[in-house]
Amino acid sequence: MSTTELGMPGSHGLADVPLAEGPQTAKDYRSDQEVRWCPGCGDYAVLAAVQSFLPDLGLRRENIVFISGIGCSSRFPYYLDTYGIHSVHGRAPTLATGLAVTRPDLSVWVVTGDGDALSIGGNHLIHALRRNVNLKILLFNNRIYGLTKGQYSPTSEPGKVTKSTPLGSVDHPFNPVSLALGAEATFVARALDSDRAQLTEVLRAAADHRGTALVEIYQNCPVFNDGAFDAVKDPRERVQRIIPLRDGEPVRFGAEGEYGVTRDPRTGGLRVAPVAETGEDALVVHDAAAGDPTQAFALSRLDSGDHGPVVPVGVFRAARRPTYDDLVRQQAGRSGGDSTLRDLLRGRDAWTVEPHRRNTP
Amino acid sequence: MTYVIAQPCVDVKDRACVEECPVDCIYEGERMLYIHPEECVDCGACEPVCPVEAIFYAEDVPPEWAAFTDAGEVFFTTLGSPGGAAGTGPISADAPLVAEFPAPAH
Repeated sequence: MSTTELGMPGSHGLADVPLAEGPQTAKDYRSDQEVRWCPGCGDYAVLAAVQSFLPDLGLRRENIVFISGIGCSSRFPYYLDTYGIHSVHGRAPTLATGLAVTRPDLSVWVVTGDGDALSIGGNHLIHALRRNVNLKILLFNNRIYGLTKGQYSPTSEPGKVTKSTPLGSVDHPFNPVSLALGAEATFVARALDSDRAQLTEVLRAAADHRGTALVEIYQNCPVFNDGAFDAVKDPRERVQRIIPLRDGEPVRFGAEGEYGVTRDPRTGGLRVAPVAETGEDALVVHDAAAGDPTQAFALSRLDSGDHGPVVPVGVFRAARRPTYDDLVRQQAGRSGGDSTLRDLLRGRDAWTVEPHRRNTP
Repeated sequence: MTYVIAQPCVDVKDRACVEECPVDCIYEGERMLYIHPEECVDCGACEPVCPVEAIFYAEDVPPEWAAFTDAGEVFFTTLGSPGGAAGTGPISADAPLVAEFPAPAH
């Protein structure tokens, strides 16, 4: 992946995080807590993938922190033998921002869901993404509020019948990848809970990225929204539905790579077409590191297109931009640190209210 | 720790669990189904759907079937981690414990 160096501090997401002394295994990351989600929950698969991927990073466990909000997925920190905070609904990115700024020696992760991240914490999410703080956000998207027993969420499909929408939801859903790209995120990816190899690849890329990384994980809720992603998980169907994004390669899919993604002159966006019709030269080439996120955004819209359910997965964007936490630390270093802050806090009043004086002749 | 399949599955292979497994980690052997100990994510979806109650959390395998606790591990030593039962298909082999199990009387 080619990137443009802009003379920024650090280059790797984990550059300042100390390494463990010896090799680790997945077992080292299992806590003594009994894992409690519903049988068959996709969260188990994500937890297993994370527990087997963290040893590959080889970091000191006491320098890793997982911060969650509220929801089923937010039980995550209990089950990992790292530091963890089960925080405030939708506000995990705020705690994570504070930690990432003050502790560059930590690998900071946020675990959230479609409701926690996109509804309750929608503002915190977009501003963390825009600021490009060195933290990694795992957004478990099951398209439902599961913990509260099944109300439609900001990613539920229109017409969704739930206990809170007995006649069907009239809301239009968010596409989390499009939202993140629109919020100027420098790293955006999508993975499936059931594909451990692909999920692990994306997690690794997110960890390596210096800046805010958003990973949307399609996660099945077997109790309140079972089968939400069956169209892209069915062993026979998925090859026709999943578009694997590979940096530097033409975007194509299908058992024989018979479908491709080309520019749509009518809309200015992208569309899916048989390669036999378009020719190989017409296929767009994926460039995750591109400074301009326009093509990544267009790729994220393919699953909303008129060509049936297709879903691009992998890294949509991995671009370089100075991180908020690096810049804050630089600025704090330049300004003289604590003494300047003290002067500011204890200095003269910047503005005072004078008592009213009556004009007397 | 992981879920394991015990003796009641031998020569039954109902496969209801295969349908239920969200990560496709239940493989078909010659006489029994096997849960892949590394691919299993411990979600427990398979346990209640087994019609012959053959699936247990490894710690909870009844003592009379304790030998089956490691059967999966033994079964997959040569196979490794194929990363999905659907793509692998039925395997014409069994763990020695299962292969040597007396055939049902007909």
